[in-house]
Amino acid sequence: MTGRIDLTTDIGTLGRRTLLGAAAATALTRPTRAQAKTQLTMTVWGAQAEQDAFNAIIAKYQAAHPDVAIKLEVFGNGMQLYQQVDTRLAGRQAPDIFRVQYQQIGRYASARAVADMSKFIDKDYGSAFGPAFWNAVSYKGRPYAIPHHTDTFALYYNRDMLAKIGVEAPSSLEKSWSWEEFIRIARAMKEKGGAPYGFAMSWQNAAYRWLPFLYQHGGTLLNADLTRAVLANQAGVGTIGWTQSWFKEGLVPPSTSIKSSEQPQALFANGTIGLLLAGDWQIPFLNGNMTKWGWGVTYMPRDVAMASDLGGNCLTVSRDAKNPEIAADVVKFFCNEENMRDFVVNAQFLPVRKALMAEKLPYKLRPDAMQVFVEQSATIPDHLVSTVTMPNFSKINAVLTDQFDLAFTSGQDPAATAKAIDEQTQALLA
Amino acid sequence: MGTMAARWAKRRHKLVPYVFIAPNVVLFTAFSFLPLLYAVYISFFDWSLIGDAEWLGVGNYTRLMRDPLFWRALVNTLLYALATVPTGMAIGLALALALNRKLPGRTFIRSIYFLPVVVSAVATGTIAAWLFNDNYGVINSILVRLGGSRVAWLSTPQWALPSIAIATLWVRSGFNMVVYLAALQSIPRIYYEAARIDGASATRQFLHVTLPLLGPATFLLLVLDIIHSFQVFDLIYVMTGGGPGFSTTMVVQYIYKSAFVTSEMGYASAMGVALYVLILAFTIVQWRASRQKENVL
Amino acid sequence: MTVRMKRSFPDAAIWLALVAGALVMLFPIYWMAVTAVRPRAEIFEALVSLLPGRVDWGNLAELWRRQPLLGWLTNSAFIAVVAVIITVFVNLLCGYTFAKFRFPGRDILFFAILGALMIPIQVILVPEFLITAWLGLLNSPWGVILPRAAEAFGIFMVRQFMVSIPDELIEAARLDGAGEFRIFLRVVLPLSRPVIAVLVIFTFMWRWNDFAWPLVILTDRDSFTLPLGLNLLRGEVNPEWGQVMMLALLSIAPMLLIFLAFQRQLIQGIASTGLK
Repeated sequence: MTGRIDLTTDIGTLGRRTLLGAAAATALTRPTRAQAKTQLTMTVWGAQAEQDAFNAIIAKYQAAHPDVAIKLEVFGNGMQLYQQVDTRLAGRQAPDIFRVQYQQIGRYASARAVADMSKFIDKDYGSAFGPAFWNAVSYKGRPYAIPHHTDTFALYYNRDMLAKIGVEAPSSLEKSWSWEEFIRIARAMKEKGGAPYGFAMSWQNAAYRWLPFLYQHGGTLLNADLTRAVLANQAGVGTIGWTQSWFKEGLVPPSTSIKSSEQPQALFANGTIGLLLAGDWQIPFLNGNMTKWGWGVTYMPRDVAMASDLGGNCLTVSRDAKNPEIAADVVKFFCNEENMRDFVVNAQFLPVRKALMAEKLPYKLRPDAMQVFVEQSATIPDHLVSTVTMPNFSKINAVLTDQFDLAFTSGQDPAATAKAIDEQTQALLA
Repeated sequence: MGTMAARWAKRRHKLVPYVFIAPNVVLFTAFSFLPLLYAVYISFFDWSLIGDAEWLGVGNYTRLMRDPLFWRALVNTLLYALATVPTGMAIGLALALALNRKLPGRTFIRSIYFLPVVVSAVATGTIAAWLFNDNYGVINSILVRLGGSRVAWLSTPQWALPSIAIATLWVRSGFNMVVYLAALQSIPRIYYEAARIDGASATRQFLHVTLPLLGPATFLLLVLDIIHSFQVFDLIYVMTGGGPGFSTTMVVQYIYKSAFVTSEMGYASAMGVALYVLILAFTIVQWRASRQKENVL
Repeated sequence: MTVRMKRSFPDAAIWLALVAGALVMLFPIYWMAVTAVRPRAEIFEALVSLLPGRVDWGNLAELWRRQPLLGWLTNSAFIAVVAVIITVFVNLLCGYTFAKFRFPGRDILFFAILGALMIPIQVILVPEFLITAWLGLLNSPWGVILPRAAEAFGIFMVRQFMVSIPDELIEAARLDGAGEFRIFLRVVLPLSRPVIAVLVIFTFMWRWNDFAWPLVILTDRDSFTLPLGLNLLRGEVNPEWGQVMMLALLSIAPMLLIFLAFQRQLIQGIASTGLK
C-alpha cells in the first residue's frame, strides 16, 4: 500500500499564507507579546490537589528560568484531554507538553505524535526509574515520555461497619482476604453492617481495571508474547462470571458498571456501600467528605495470585512543540527526584523513581493508608503492564468496556462475553 | 455612454442578490460545506487523527453495512425519536391550547414552560443525571419517601432510554408550545365565529378549523424535532455515556466513540456521512409530503 | 349562570393542571438552586431532603476563589453579543434576498443552506477544526464566532417572515431611486422588528449555550465560556456538586432574565415569522 499520506498537511499546500491575510482578525485578538520569553503550554487533568502540585513546580521552574513562561491548561479528566489533544495534533496545534496515562502513551508513540525523548536524556537516565514504568513509556526500545508517578488499587473499608460485623481487616499483604472471604464479608456488610450494598469497584470508564481480577484468578488477556487473545478459557470465563455475580447477587449497586458515570467513592462516603475498591487518589475526597464514619484501607482480595492495577501517568513532549529541548527540560524537571517527591506527597500518588520507591514518604494525608498502596503496588504483574501499554490498547479497552458492560447490566453470558472479547481483540492484534 | 451606464446599472442590479448573500455563502462554504466534503474525503481513509492516513476506498462504508452496532445505534436513534417527537409535540400542542385561554397568570405560566429551552444541554444533562441518580438522586428519594422503592434509572437497559426521553421532553415541550402558541394566535377569529354560526361543537371546531391551520407549524416542528433527535449528543454523553450495554448508544454517540475513543476517524466520518444522508432524505420526504398538502415554502 | 359554571369549571381544572405541570418543570431548576446552597455534608445523602439543612454560600465563595468566574462570564457575553450582531445582520440580508429577489441558482442555494442545518456537529468537528486552526483562530473568540455566524435556521425564519412584506413597498422605494442596500436598511428592516427580536434572542441563546464547538477551539481556561467551565467542573475526578450546580445556575440566569423580559416579543415574533 503506497497510500499512506498525511491528511492534515494537504491543506497546508494550498497556500495558507495567502488566505491568512483575510483572517486578519487574529492579529486583533492576539496582541503579540514581547517575544523574549519562550512560551510553553502544558496540558493536564486532575483534581485540585494535583493542579496545585503542578502549579507549584511550574512556579519553581519559572523562578529558575526567567526566560521561560509555562501556561498550565487543565481538564477535568483524561478522556477530555485526549479528545482535545488528538484534535489539536491533527491541526498541528498540540500543546508542548501533556500528561498521558501509561495505557495511552503507546498510541501516541506509535503514531509518532510525541517526541522521541532519547535525544534529550543521558544513556542511563532510565535506569533510575522502576523498570516496569520505564518499559511502559518505551516503544521499540526508545522512550517517548518520562514516567511521572503511579497509583494503584486497594480496598477501602468502612471502619464502623466492619466492626459491626465483627471482622478485622488484614494486617499484611500475605493475610489479604481470599475471593470467598471477600464475598462473605461483602454479604455481611449488606445483611448486618447497615449498608444497602456490600461494595463497589471504581472502574467507570476504565475497563482495564478489571484485569487485576483476571490475574488474581490465574488468567491473562493475551498470551505470553502478546500475539493472541486467550480469555476464553476457565480462568477468563471464571473471572467474568465472578465479577458478573456481584451484579446478579446485588452485592454492588447496579449503577457501578463500566459505562456509568457513577462515582463509587461518593457511595462509600454516604454509606451506600461498606467496601470500596479504588485508587490512592481518592484519599483527599474521603478525607473531606466521609464525615459520619471512620475508614481504613486494606489490601486487594486475592485468589490463586495477588495482583493490582497499573495506574498513573507520564509526561510527554508533543511533536508540535516549537522548542522541544526546553519542553523536554521541563518534563525532566517535573520528574527529577525532588519534584517527584513533592508531587506525590502533595497529591497522594506513588513515585516511580527507584530511590523514592524505597523511601518512606511523608504523605500529607493518611500515611497509614498510603503505606498499604505502596505495598500493594508491588503486586502489579509485569505481564499486565506489557498488555495495557501496547499501542493498540485503547481499542482493546473499548472492546472490554462494551462487553463487560453487556455482561454486568444486560446479563450477557460469561462464555459468550469471553468469546466476543477474544474475537474482537484478535482482530485488533492482527 | 448613456446606454453603457444603463447596461452597467442593470448588470449591477443583477449582482445585488449575490452580493447580499455573499457573506453567508462564504461562511457556509468555509465552515459547513468544505468540512462536509472533507469529512467525505476522510471517510475513504483509515486515519487515527494523530498519525498517517491509509487509503481504504469504500472500506469504511462496507464495514458500516455489516456492523451490527451501527444498525443497533440507528434503531436506538429511531426509538428515541419515536419516544420524544410525537409526545413532545402533543404536550406542546396541549400546553398551547390551554395557555391560549384567558387564564390568570398565563404569561407567567408560559414562561415557566419555556424556561428549560434556554438551559444549555450541558447544564440539562448535569442536572438530569443528578436528579435520576440511583443512589442519591432526589427522584428515588421521593419515591422511597412515598413508600415506593428505588428505580435504577440510568443503570438498567429498560429505564435508561425513558429517563433520557423525560429529560428531552423537559427541554423540547416548551419550544413546541411557543411555536404552536404563535400559530394559534395567528388563526383569524372569524373562522371560529363562522364555525359557531354553523353550529359546530368545540371538538368539531378543533378538528376542522384549528388542526388544519396548525399544519405548517406541525411540519416545522416535525422537521426540527426529528433533526434534533438525530443529533442528540450532550445529554446522553452526560447521563449514560451510551450505556448500559448499548441501550442508549445513538449514531452520534457511536460517531464520537469511533472518532475520539478508538481513534477511527475515517470510520467515524463514514458514519457521519451516512447519518447526514439519512437526515436529508428524511427531511426531503417530509417536505414533499407536506408540500402537497399544505403548500409550505 | 349555568353557562358560566360550565365554562369556568374546565378552566379551573386546566389551570390547576397547568400549575401542577409548571411546578414539575420548575423542579430541576429549583433543585439546581438547592444543591448549589446545600452544605457539602448533605450532598450525597441517600435520602436527600427537599430543603437544605441550612443555606451555605460557601460554594459560591469557593467557586469565585478557584475559577476565573468573571472571565468566563465576560467571554460568554462577548461571544454572544458579537455573534448576535454579525449573525443577525448577515442572516437578515440573506433571508431578505431569498424572499424578495429572483436570481439564477436561488432555490438550489436556499436548499443547500437548509441542508447545512442537518449536519451533525460531530461529523464535521475535526475538518472544521482543521480549517479554523489553519486560519489561526484557535483560542480566540473569533474562532467561536465566525464558524457559527451563518445560521441556517435564522435564514429560514427571516425568509418566511419577509415573504409577507408587500412587494409594492420595495418597488415604490426603487422608483424613488433608492439603492438596494438603502431599501433594505430603511424600508425592510423597520418592518422586520418582530423577526429581528426572535433572531436576537435565539442567536444569543444558541451562542450562550454553545458547547461542542467552543470545547475544541478554546483550550485555555481563561478563555473559557460558562458551559466550558461547567464541563470542566463536572468532569473532575471528584466534582464539587455544590459548585457545579452553582455555576449551572449562574450560567442560565442571564438567559432566564432575557427570556422573562422579552417573552411577549418572542411569541409575537414567532407568530409573525410565517411559522403559522
